[in-house]
Amino acid sequence: MVGLEIHVELATRSKMFTRAGSPGHPDFYDREPNSLVTPTVAALPGTLPVMNRRAVEMSMMVGLALGCSIARRSKWDRKNYYYPDLPKGYQISQYDLPLCHDGAFELPLPGGATRRIGIIRAHLEEDTGKLGHELPGGFSYEGSLVDLNRAGTPLLEIVTAPDFDSADDVVAFAQELRGICRFLGVTEGIMQKGHMRFEPNINVIIELEGGGTVKTPVVEVKNLNSFKALKGAIEFEAAAQVDRWREDGRVMGPGAKSTRGWDDVRCATVLQREKEDAHDYRYFPDPDLVPVTVDDAWLARVRAEVPELPHARRARFVGYGLEAKDAAALVEDREPCLFFEQVVAELGGGAKAGYAAGKFLLNQLSKRANELGCGLHRAGLTAAQVAGIVSLRESGALGAQNVDALVAAIAGSAQDPKSAAEAAGLLVVRDDAALDAWVDRAIAANAQAAADVRAGKMAAIGRIVGAVMKLAGGTVDAKTVNERIVARLRVARLGEGA
Amino acid sequence: MKEQEARGNALSAAQVAHVAKLARLEVAPGRIEEYRTQLAAVLAHIAKLDAVDIAGTEPMAHPFESSNRLDDDEPVEGLPIEAILRNAPAAEGRFLAVPKVLAEGD
Repeated sequence: MVGLEIHVELATRSKMFTRAGSPGHPDFYDREPNSLVTPTVAALPGTLPVMNRRAVEMSMMVGLALGCSIARRSKWDRKNYYYPDLPKGYQISQYDLPLCHDGAFELPLPGGATRRIGIIRAHLEEDTGKLGHELPGGFSYEGSLVDLNRAGTPLLEIVTAPDFDSADDVVAFAQELRGICRFLGVTEGIMQKGHMRFEPNINVIIELEGGGTVKTPVVEVKNLNSFKALKGAIEFEAAAQVDRWREDGRVMGPGAKSTRGWDDVRCATVLQREKEDAHDYRYFPDPDLVPVTVDDAWLARVRAEVPELPHARRARFVGYGLEAKDAAALVEDREPCLFFEQVVAELGGGAKAGYAAGKFLLNQLSKRANELGCGLHRAGLTAAQVAGIVSLRESGALGAQNVDALVAAIAGSAQDPKSAAEAAGLLVVRDDAALDAWVDRAIAANAQAAADVRAGKMAAIGRIVGAVMKLAGGTVDAKTVNERIVARLRVARLGEGA
Repeated sequence: MKEQEARGNALSAAQVAHVAKLARLEVAPGRIEEYRTQLAAVLAHIAKLDAVDIAGTEPMAHPFESSNRLDDDEPVEGLPIEAILRNAPAAEGRFLAVPKVLAEGD
């Protein structure tokens, strides 16, 4: 069984208890060491913390998204320990009154089922600074080098119930949570920057031959900052714990829990020796901070800020008729997804528009976005322009073969797709007499294919369509041609029968 | 430490040494007994509070009635690096330099 603790670095602009710039926000990524330090961060005498309103609100948003109750009253506690990355000698955290508690999340599983994951709590705390051992230029330093930029960054710690029984589900949850946090705008979720860190608590239930079960001691794996490491650590422990139990027979119980780290190179967990007093944190309420109370009005305001979440959007997109993998691709990143929603809105909304826009973005515009190395929303077209092109396609006015040319013609400009297509001669010329003439010539030139189509072998129609397209020189749309050929052949057949 | 142990004279010399270590205070072995007696007296005094019936009383997290002293999310400039390093016993470039912290503690 696995329970998961997740630390999310919240992307507030300023830190949690002081207004130094916060390195979890894009404005302050990768700043020079010790450049985001105020007297409060450095714990200079006489400084007092003041809580950042936005950090509380972002935490509430995550809590609401995970179905949690929001505490109407929560407080701040000091967790005391000495370490050079913690100038105050204590971390401000929430001990017995977390801001969010008792939630549950229905984790979507492959195949459409869900698994209910209990959320025990989500509380706010501050991050520590960083210790390094390398000087600029790669020279190693014998002592520890302290950088306090990260110190005081708001961290939301989310604790799930031990409701997982596979590494894949844990990873799926972690990824879903990352998506939720990104849609909420509370972090960019860049794993390499440590925006999300995972700590799974793992143990194994072993079924004994003579009936009955034993539970192995819980192992907590600390500080995993990639999905790969998360999966690797859980799978390693699941196997290793059975071996350990065979060797020493130890089972779950008080004092049996241990802490391990993950070795990325050996793909194994390693026992971490802990200080004997590691858990003697002597928590007590922080007298420097007054409690946070949440009234109905504030809660309602924050609730209104919670957008439709990724899983709900995916389900809605599948409702448009899109395949599950297409729906997932459209929801993968927030900005491209919001762009897609805008295109659908420009088209007037609804399943037909959603399907057409989704297919266009994934099949046509994504090629261009990939070439440019950017998201769909940055491929040079506005949502209105994309909607215009989709409309032209849907009405049959624009052939598939001319889409790329039209995109290239209007990208980066404010041109209206329809007038641009007309000006460039990219639109289908709707001349039924001419079309019928081309169709008749193509049928005559492909007698065998025509016979096959008459006999019901519809695959044969491709040859005739191709011939018409060639005759028409790109001014007709394949869909229209197809319909026309079918109509002509049916007419002919009826004629023969008469 | 368990509450019962902390009361009266139940405080042990080992507990005094442990508390001193947590607080990073050096206590000469010859003075542990002196502190043990004094600390035990303090704890015994505070233990009188146990006699008060607080059933049904909300724990008080803060003596003030106020709540929600909150700041806007608007960053300000950090201190110049000279100011940060001024009081540091040692510095390397822009870093504060400290002795290496051993993984197993001190």
